[in-house]
Amino acid sequence: MGESRAVTVNQPTEDKTIDITVVINGKEQHLQTEPTKRLVDILRNDLDLTGTKISCGIGRCGACSVMINGNLINSCLVMAYQVDQASITTIEGIVREEGLDPIQTAFLEEGGFQCGYCTPGMVMAVKSLLADTPNPTEEQIKTALSGNLCRCTGYGGIIRAVQRVIEEGTYL
Amino acid sequence: MQRDQLVYKNRNRVRPDGKAKVTGSLKYLTDLSFPNMLYGKILRSAYPHAKILSININDAEKLPGVKAVITHKDIPGLNGFGIISPDQPVLCEDRVRYVGDAIAAVAAETIEIAEKALQLIKVEYEQLPILDDPEIALEPHAPQLHENGNLLHQAGYQKGDVDEGFVRSLVVIEETYQVPRQMHTYMETEGGVIVPEANGALSVYVGTQHGYKDRFQLSRILGKPEEDIRIISSPMGGSFGGKDELNIQPYGAILALKTACPVKIHQTRKESVISGLKRHPMRITMKTGVDKDGKILAHKVDILADTGAYSTLGPAILDFAVEHATGPYMVPNVKTEGLSVFTNNGVAGEFRGFGGNQITFALEGQIDRLAEKLNIDSIELRRRNIRKVDDVGPLGHRIAPTNGASDVLEAISNHMKIKRNELNNLNLDKFKVRGIGTAITMHGGGLGQGRLDPAGGRLSLNKDGKIEIAFGFEEAGQGILGVIETIVTEELGCSTDDLSIIIGDTALVPSSGSTTASRGTSMVWHAVKRMKDVFERKLLDQASKHTGISVNELQLSSGGVSKLANDKSFSLVMSYLELAEHMNKSKQSSIVTTNFDFPTTPDDVDGGHFLYTFGSVLAQVEIDLLTGKVKVIDLDQSISAGPIVSMKGYTGQIEGGGVMALGYTLMEEALMVEGKYITENLDAYLIPSISDVPFAMMTEAIESLHDGDPYGPRGVGEIGTVAVAPAIAKAIHDAIGYWVSRLPVSSEEILQAASHRRMKQWAKVEQ
Repeated sequence: MGESRAVTVNQPTEDKTIDITVVINGKEQHLQTEPTKRLVDILRNDLDLTGTKISCGIGRCGACSVMINGNLINSCLVMAYQVDQASITTIEGIVREEGLDPIQTAFLEEGGFQCGYCTPGMVMAVKSLLADTPNPTEEQIKTALSGNLCRCTGYGGIIRAVQRVIEEGTYL
Repeated sequence: MQRDQLVYKNRNRVRPDGKAKVTGSLKYLTDLSFPNMLYGKILRSAYPHAKILSININDAEKLPGVKAVITHKDIPGLNGFGIISPDQPVLCEDRVRYVGDAIAAVAAETIEIAEKALQLIKVEYEQLPILDDPEIALEPHAPQLHENGNLLHQAGYQKGDVDEGFVRSLVVIEETYQVPRQMHTYMETEGGVIVPEANGALSVYVGTQHGYKDRFQLSRILGKPEEDIRIISSPMGGSFGGKDELNIQPYGAILALKTACPVKIHQTRKESVISGLKRHPMRITMKTGVDKDGKILAHKVDILADTGAYSTLGPAILDFAVEHATGPYMVPNVKTEGLSVFTNNGVAGEFRGFGGNQITFALEGQIDRLAEKLNIDSIELRRRNIRKVDDVGPLGHRIAPTNGASDVLEAISNHMKIKRNELNNLNLDKFKVRGIGTAITMHGGGLGQGRLDPAGGRLSLNKDGKIEIAFGFEEAGQGILGVIETIVTEELGCSTDDLSIIIGDTALVPSSGSTTASRGTSMVWHAVKRMKDVFERKLLDQASKHTGISVNELQLSSGGVSKLANDKSFSLVMSYLELAEHMNKSKQSSIVTTNFDFPTTPDDVDGGHFLYTFGSVLAQVEIDLLTGKVKVIDLDQSISAGPIVSMKGYTGQIEGGGVMALGYTLMEEALMVEGKYITENLDAYLIPSISDVPFAMMTEAIESLHDGDPYGPRGVGEIGTVAVAPAIAKAIHDAIGYWVSRLPVSSEEILQAASHRRMKQWAKVEQ
């Protein structure tokens, strides 16, 4: 940054872009983007992957949860330069060839959603939980999902959905 | 009517919008993009109360990428909105009354440019004294926020003579209850895209709870005929009453018309907090007297509501609170007075429960305090005062006969015995104490007597051979699509594949009134009942003409029209597509429409409701004596709202409503200091997470209605939120012997109370 000290604050920086390579839902993508652009905006606005939602924008609600290299992360807190060479899975990437993921089926049949706006992030969080801990305790479920807020269900249907997936043992 | 006719076989079905929601493929209106779309941003006031001396947009307009900057000068029609009284400026000209007031708006090529442009708009203000409390606003020399002063609305109800009632009372309790400004916190903040169409027409893809009302309001603002405005208002990522009023629509519309480009506005959470509606903070003083047997003799109620800067539905919410001030109890002497007052705080308006939550917290608090003083079980005290089947409603008006109040009370009484027994056998950590409390309520559905409350629907066989059912309702998550699907398929006998449901688009649907006041399910049921026979007759007549089979032998069924054989089996004789083609050729219309009003009381009592739902709540809490933190262990509800149409929808409304009210009781307050929000996002405004709720909640549905009740399923959108706070308050008292009267319950207050009580107990032991 040494040479750029003379740059005035008002000078637009929009044209300073970087090239990044990311694998999104199994597909390699080369993106030219501002380095500080939020991942959630790249997903929603540039790639039209609108299944990832935006709600608080500060990492407190989990609506924008995605998996980055297998870790559950709020995509509103991640900038473009941080995901170069990363592998990202969004809600659009978890449908299996044979149909819905068992988590999605359980959400459907147990009433794990109402307005559905938190649902993609919640499903990603459940997936992340069960991938690491296929048979979680009540405490583990609470810890894993406490970063994903739902205003409609009171979490009752979500809990029943998670319990059902555990009972069915599809993630064991 | 036979009760068993009302049991829907397929009420466990998965809702039709479910798959798109769990896969993330559903496009919410804030997910939409259009070619050449611009992004809009709204400049809100820097101060809660100020004169605007000047607005300079020159620099903003010059910023590259900015396509339009609008101020009050750009409003073609009325510079005002509000569902009842349009007293909120779309864009302020000379004065701002709260921090959410809009002054200018920008459309630009990117959000970043639009944000930058907002910073370049120069507004000169002259600050005015801030009225941040309704009591201050009512002082004689307070600055007047509106032409008619600071009192938005005064409402009251009087019956008998309370003074005389108090004289005859053995025990009188007087308490002031304070309840907070709660935020709806719908996960999808306000937004959408407004698209200019040919010939000056406009398509507004923005969520709302009443598309036709938005169309009317926008027509007035834009100076454009309503027919030129199309409102696509569904689906929404939650609303809870908060999106019923206009929010970003006028700005998007004016910018779209000015730039001739689609304009997207999607408020950030902080923008939503600042500009969005909230639940009315209220201060409620109640004085209630009982005789030695616990019969309530007198009940005096004073309500002071902080309605914020503009009217929206403030008057109706106060009316609702006044109506429900005696709840499900028969009280001979009542005097209720309510004031809803303008301040420079955030605008308060429609929110699930509609004034019922505030008043019920106070009323049930009174009953519990009286029971303690009389040394009577609090459920027994309720039993002695509860309304009977044919009793009049709380404003002395006739209501649909119902035993709901007793039903929910006895249900929760039974549940209480089980829970109390469980608790008595529980060993707890010595620094934890538990308590159980219950509360009940009744809640009116629909808008009430004297309010325009029309409903309607349309049923037809469309050219694709689908049975098309259309309503002007919106899907905010509550599950109206699932309700429509269940009612129509079961009433008509068709299958879900035969059905096309259309909602939330003024170009395609008839007016059905608002998607509010727990009225959707009820109105769908009434509409289908009204249209069903005529529609069946039309279709079967035509099928009969085409097939030569007598109408009496035909019926609608899955896939098409079937012939009924003697052995009661039936076989398809004509598919719906064939029937549609036949009717199309012979120019026979299949369209059936209906228009009617929500059932109201025959008595001329303004705002009085006719159909009520009833709910009772059991809460068990665990209090940490070292931190004062209150944890809800059980949150169980019994509901009387007629037959269930959608099992998951019903349970979801009660559990979700219960947890929203748990937040109201223990966590949530959109805190304002001197007219400015302190809690600007979800890091400071906390709503319940999965860690804050009971892992299992019970919802008990009492589905039976009074014999011969012709009104069908009642809505349950609100009832699950109403009586939670008093149940938790009673549970806290059961645990530590302390009455809370202010929400949200503060851990500090509980810690102090718990410590005080333990010290007293310790002292007692020493004696």
